[in-house]
Amino acid sequence: MKMLSNSLALLLVMASGGLAMAANVPAGVKLHETQELVRNNGSEPETLDPAIASGVPANNVIRDLFEGLTAIDSAGRVVPGVAESWKQTDPQTWVFKLRKNAKWSNGDGVSADDFVYGMRRLVDPATASKYAATYGVFLHNAKDILEGKKPPVALGVKAVDAYTLEIKTPFPTGFLPDVVSNLQLGPVHKATIDKHGKDWTKPGNLVGNGAFTLKDWQVNSKIVVAKSTNYWDAKNVQLSKLTYLAVEDGNADVKLYESGENDWVYQLPPGTYEKYKQQYPKEIRNTTMLGLRYYSLQNADPVLKDIRVRKALSMVIDRDLLAQRVTADGQVPAYGVIVNGVSGANPTRYEWAGWPMDRRVAEAKKLLADAGLAPGSKLKFAYNTSEYHKKMAIFAASEWKTKLGINLELEAMEFKVLIKKRDDRDFQMARNGWVADYDDATTFLTLVQCDSDQNSQGNCNRKAEALIDEGNKSLDPAKRRTLLTQAAQMIMDDYPMIPLLQYTVPRLVKSYVGGYSSTNALDRYRAKDLYVIKH
Amino acid sequence: MGSYCLRRILATLPTLLVVVTVCYLMLHATPGGPFDDERKVSAVVLANLQAKYHLDQPMWKQYLYYLNNLLHGDLGASFRYADWSVNELVAKALPVSAAIGGGAIVLSLLIGVLLGSVAALRQNSAVDYLVMLMGNLGHAVPSFVIGPVLILVFAVWLRLLPAGGWDDFAPRYIVLPMALLVFINVATIGRVMRGSLIEVLHSNFIRTARAKGLPTRIIVLRHAMKPALLPVVSLIGPLAISSITSAVVTETVFSLPGLGKLIVNGAANRDYTLVLGLVVLVTVIAVGFNLLVDLAYAALDPKIRY
Amino acid sequence: MPLWTRKSATDARRSANEALLGALVGAGEAALAGRSPWADARARFWRNRAAALSLCILVAVVLLCAVGPLLLPHAFDSADWDAMSLPPSLNNAHYFGTDDSGRDLLVRSLVGGRISLMVGMLATLASATLGIAWGATAGFLGGRADALMMRVVDMMYAVPYLLIAILMVTMLGREFYLVVVTITVFSWMDMARVVRGQTLSLRSREFIEAARALGVPTRRIIFGHVVPNLLGVVAVYTTVTVPGVILTESVLSFLGLGIQEPMTSWGVLIHDGANVMEISPWMLLFPAALLSVTLYCFNYIGDGLRDALDPKDV
Repeated sequence: MKMLSNSLALLLVMASGGLAMAANVPAGVKLHETQELVRNNGSEPETLDPAIASGVPANNVIRDLFEGLTAIDSAGRVVPGVAESWKQTDPQTWVFKLRKNAKWSNGDGVSADDFVYGMRRLVDPATASKYAATYGVFLHNAKDILEGKKPPVALGVKAVDAYTLEIKTPFPTGFLPDVVSNLQLGPVHKATIDKHGKDWTKPGNLVGNGAFTLKDWQVNSKIVVAKSTNYWDAKNVQLSKLTYLAVEDGNADVKLYESGENDWVYQLPPGTYEKYKQQYPKEIRNTTMLGLRYYSLQNADPVLKDIRVRKALSMVIDRDLLAQRVTADGQVPAYGVIVNGVSGANPTRYEWAGWPMDRRVAEAKKLLADAGLAPGSKLKFAYNTSEYHKKMAIFAASEWKTKLGINLELEAMEFKVLIKKRDDRDFQMARNGWVADYDDATTFLTLVQCDSDQNSQGNCNRKAEALIDEGNKSLDPAKRRTLLTQAAQMIMDDYPMIPLLQYTVPRLVKSYVGGYSSTNALDRYRAKDLYVIKH
Repeated sequence: MGSYCLRRILATLPTLLVVVTVCYLMLHATPGGPFDDERKVSAVVLANLQAKYHLDQPMWKQYLYYLNNLLHGDLGASFRYADWSVNELVAKALPVSAAIGGGAIVLSLLIGVLLGSVAALRQNSAVDYLVMLMGNLGHAVPSFVIGPVLILVFAVWLRLLPAGGWDDFAPRYIVLPMALLVFINVATIGRVMRGSLIEVLHSNFIRTARAKGLPTRIIVLRHAMKPALLPVVSLIGPLAISSITSAVVTETVFSLPGLGKLIVNGAANRDYTLVLGLVVLVTVIAVGFNLLVDLAYAALDPKIRY
Repeated sequence: MPLWTRKSATDARRSANEALLGALVGAGEAALAGRSPWADARARFWRNRAAALSLCILVAVVLLCAVGPLLLPHAFDSADWDAMSLPPSLNNAHYFGTDDSGRDLLVRSLVGGRISLMVGMLATLASATLGIAWGATAGFLGGRADALMMRVVDMMYAVPYLLIAILMVTMLGREFYLVVVTITVFSWMDMARVVRGQTLSLRSREFIEAARALGVPTRRIIFGHVVPNLLGVVAVYTTVTVPGVILTESVLSFLGLGIQEPMTSWGVLIHDGANVMEISPWMLLFPAALLSVTLYCFNYIGDGLRDALDPKDV
């Protein structure tokens, strides 16, 4: 998504705000009589409470039951949600104007107070939301509230009047409209929570302001959402019913698809992309996502603390072979922490990425010799059990063995055990991955910044940190982009970790499912934007 | 017999206590906690989470808190499925597993006893080998192979049955998972039945019955069956328990919302209350089934006294 | 006349020593009954065609797994990225084809067989020993001791195996023998229950009463008289345990609690193969065939053993 200057963005939004939104069925497309779809959500959501939700499956369903100030459409663009227009009135203040006809599913009107309540609830320590820090970082005083130093009412969000919301940010945040599309920062119906307490998210109790209402919820089986008649844009919603399945096993998922009980596979099992591409050419989809697969290196480890060793290890991996043959599902080689397509910074690349492999191996061997790491040395690699990670690990082990003579000791472990090892810095090399929370480079930089919770390597480059701070304070998007890109290159030149591939989501979606886009880099869809083509 | 049953039921309580305590200790000793995730939670938020779920209290206090709730029938709130209480989750999953697992055990018993008996009566003949070949399929081919093959044939190619899922006890969703469990259990029951019946058929009293000129049918059904079923009955307890509570492969392959999935997800996510709640359930089921089995022993062999 | 005669239904399974003693003492009878029960058993076993054939096949499989990898050109862990997922062919000596990392499937199947067979036999042996000792003692002692011991069994059933597995592996480590221990921990209960059931039935039989009347110590009765009479059921049930153990090992490996890459086992190979069975069926077929054949062999051998050890099966 390209970054536009504030005024241009404002004009565009004001112009489009007047048009009927989500008139999403292209002219000439005939619709099927029954507008119902079944979609696999990958696993059972941990909750349907927007403040607490942290997983992708939960956010998918919540995106249909609730609507935030803004939303992301199928093509990955920020579009108005409950807010009709917005403006950055000063570097640290955004004002959102809400539409007057937005309603909750029980008929109540949606007002700015609902948003204030929702955001305060997010950062309230009593709610204990996992995402409170991730999104709270953009809200004034959120940090202090989380630490218990200030009460939730001190949060920098204010309902100027019933339909005007003012948000204060601790530093200039040009991409706030993107951030507030997340329902963690969305509205919550206070009366429902007061009435039902912990049971407020159950079918029959849940009151939301989204395009759909919660009709049925069978844990580990399915969640059924039905079109909401009180939704302000109901006339543009085609689907009458959407069923979310909770099938975790990729093969079972595809079998359900092939037997006609599932219209949308969550993710193809590893190694099957080529086959299904040939078998179902019209139904295979593969979108490049804002996500990164990488290997964390323990920067404090006695063997790995020498930058020459880390550089050598990164140099000899043939990422093209990895992408094209080993994983073979359309992933793209990555040479830096910033991925293609993310806003706010440019991807960085190493100079040796263009060299022929022989030259890279020779150089790497020299580096190892200088560092004193003899062939035959052992390194440990921790990963959580999954076909995918195993395959990549075998490839990495084989690369390092044949090219550098390093023996990789593979340690497969259960997911939580790996997480603990990573968090405790009890590893030499570990598999890691990250998917963007919002469309800005800072969501990736946090992986390699000093003192960041998401930094598993323990690396820290103070000069780069200073550049990032400067960039965040800057009001000029172009300058910010330059500074962030520079910082990223600086950090990557320290070789703190080994970037490998940029995520894609290979899946099968029936050809009669309308509204699926190949440019949705965050893989976020609203049922509002989907429809069933006549078939 | 009545006092024996009562004694056994009362013995459940200390059993439960020991099991819950042991599991509680094991859960807390296992590395990784319920809030560890790919996306690391900040220290402040982690502190808030632990406070919310009382995990910041000393372990003995949490333990007593849990026991107190348990005595009131409250199994607590789940971490992994945060909107549901453990009571609700178990109440929803148990009928699914019971229907499929229970039905599978009954069927396996009937088919396994039949196959084993036929093989025993035709010992060492071609019939014996063939019947055992069919019966042992469930032991020679892993369930995560048989399951997908069943789906491939019946759901994808023939479109006769769904490939998985669950819809309120609708029979078509029960057929294939039950078939898979039957495959697996028939192998065990059939072989043990065969061995046991052969042994019984060689005992003195059968020889006497034969000498008396009784027809084979009467001999087998009225005289040999009861003692022959003894080892089979020993197995029913564990088989039923595992079919109902640990049918993880079946539930994964057929996407069923059963107990096995809850246990595995609970353990994998360190969902303390969910795992403990399921442990309580499984203990009660195990004690109950084993009691029934022990009573059946007494019915089958009059010499067994408690 | 000795208290134990051959004609009594249950005493035929006494140990070889007693048979010899009996034969020596009753010289006249020794002249008539010239074979030991063990020779009888062996003869009966070999007469069972399925069992005999199965034993030969099993020995062949064991030899193949032990020696085969040394004779084949490919190493089991050498990945060849130009030869990924190849179907079986003769020209590049990939007789079973390759897996999705280009490693030779034949060698991996044989190396995997080593692990599966070793784990299978060791874990079965350990859990059978523990289960028999536990069940026979519980069933024989009866009353309070039986109740207590069986409650322990109930408790073992109640604890989720995943939990035990994770804890044991993370506390103790992932060495091969520890995998065996972990599997044994949740495989011994079935045997204990079956044995206890049989013992309950046996202990009221005449020969046990006789031994008790003679003042034979309890331990001697249990291990000298009860257990030998259980051998039939035990033989069958041991070979029922083996597939369970081998498959449990594959579940453990799948969860990252068992055999580590690049080492492999049949369970792991079959699991990986099942995932791609429509794409590279050979990845499933060959290891599954080896496993099935081996398990069928165990089954027939078990049944054959049971038949052989049954003295009434003349």
